[in-house]
Amino acid sequence: MNNQVMLESTGKNEYELFFGPAHPGSGNFSVKLEVDGEIVTSARANPGYLHRGFEKLMEYRLPIQNAVLSDRICILEPLNWNLIHAEAVDELMGIDVPERAKYIRVIMAELSRIQSHIIWFGVFSIGTGFDTGFKMAFGYRDYILDLFEMITGGRVYPTGYICPGGVRRDLPKDASEKILKVLDKIDEMVKLEEIENPVLQARARGIGVLKLEDAMRLGATGPLLRASGMKVDVRKEEPYEVYDRLDFEVPVRKEGDAYARYMIGIEEIKQSMKIIKQALREIPQGEYINPQFKKPKLNVKMPKGEVYVRNEGGRGEAAIYMVSDGNTKPYRVKIRGPSFLHMISVLEFLLKGVQIADVPAIYWSMNICPADLDR
Amino acid sequence: MGWRIIPKLFQNLLSKPMTVKFPHESIPIPDGYRGEHAYEIEKCISCGLCAKICPNRAIEMIEATTRENKEKYQKQYPKIDLGKCCFCGLCQDICPKDALKLTKNFFLSTFNKSTTIKYPFKTEDGAK
Repeated sequence: MNNQVMLESTGKNEYELFFGPAHPGSGNFSVKLEVDGEIVTSARANPGYLHRGFEKLMEYRLPIQNAVLSDRICILEPLNWNLIHAEAVDELMGIDVPERAKYIRVIMAELSRIQSHIIWFGVFSIGTGFDTGFKMAFGYRDYILDLFEMITGGRVYPTGYICPGGVRRDLPKDASEKILKVLDKIDEMVKLEEIENPVLQARARGIGVLKLEDAMRLGATGPLLRASGMKVDVRKEEPYEVYDRLDFEVPVRKEGDAYARYMIGIEEIKQSMKIIKQALREIPQGEYINPQFKKPKLNVKMPKGEVYVRNEGGRGEAAIYMVSDGNTKPYRVKIRGPSFLHMISVLEFLLKGVQIADVPAIYWSMNICPADLDR
Repeated sequence: MGWRIIPKLFQNLLSKPMTVKFPHESIPIPDGYRGEHAYEIEKCISCGLCAKICPNRAIEMIEATTRENKEKYQKQYPKIDLGKCCFCGLCQDICPKDALKLTKNFFLSTFNKSTTIKYPFKTEDGAK
């Protein structure tokens, strides 16, 4: 029964509306909205369109093959997921990672965070009807993709560049200057983002307010929790790699609305640029990978045990829990994607009582990725 | 409020576009790009490590079928399915004799599915 017929027969304004999976602004994800006129009365997340079963696939592959697989957990920030997987294997096997490799890992993870945040800005812009922002963001993101192409050999997928033991290739000789040049470009982009846009403010201020107690109750992490007023960052609390030696700040905002989240994204890009500049200054010479792992090996047994490694991904707290029973392949891998809680509990909570036109604005202000939700 | 956009507007009118006209010109491809494989059968020792490390099982070790090839190459050699390949370069890293390498060629789109399979032998062996 189509809506018009239903309205006539029942005299009610209530009907169901699907946001996604074919909606241009939804990604591979769907939300079932129940609307009364223009107001959303309840929202139900409907995930599963991008499920690829990484947890099971990883049980059948060697750690070095899993490093290649780990890119695809989140398409928009592959190097961050590479890093988490590599750290989990390093900790489980007790591998010493050379100093230079640690710095390269941090530089690459931060570059990946910047490009992920630029996409966030792009999709948030298109979600609020600001098409120029989307094109601008994807144009500037390509400068970082050029760097990835030069360093890892692939534009979007580094295919396990950060691997157990270190990184698979050393930085090219002129990498430092090229990275600094690209950071200048990103600086330009951040300045453009910061221009106060009255239309964007009207669309984003006071929309989708997530109070701190709700954020904590629903399990929000990362930029979402920081935009609601809690100073929390795994890089500061449990420093991994060389983050304890680097000086950076954790941006916090109190408002908790879509605009606050958007501003947190911009400030985080600035902090990431600060981290990369410091790391490039301090990076030592030496090995880029543990000599034992320079050539990929087939028969390296992982000692018995289990490990839980958490990192600050671009979207929030990302983690891997890995169990080994003494074989070459992991016995069980559990992936904690930050978007899982953001896209189900937080999104359902935020969409209640808003107007239909605000749904994309709220949806994309949360920096979510259907890929790491479904895994 | 909106005045900062004016100088940017003139700047954009006079500056070059970010993109290039792709088939006519292309951005430079850096060294170390992971593109199509280059395989040298003379260097290959048929160890099969590339087939074992391949995360997508895109490499299969096959024997020659034509008489001419059978006399020359008696062991098993890698057949690469580019449709399954994710271009991770682990086969290149693990190869003890550098027989398998990834090149800069990224023009791999095709209308014919059978052309995605790379056979190790130079003649048409195996490609039925």
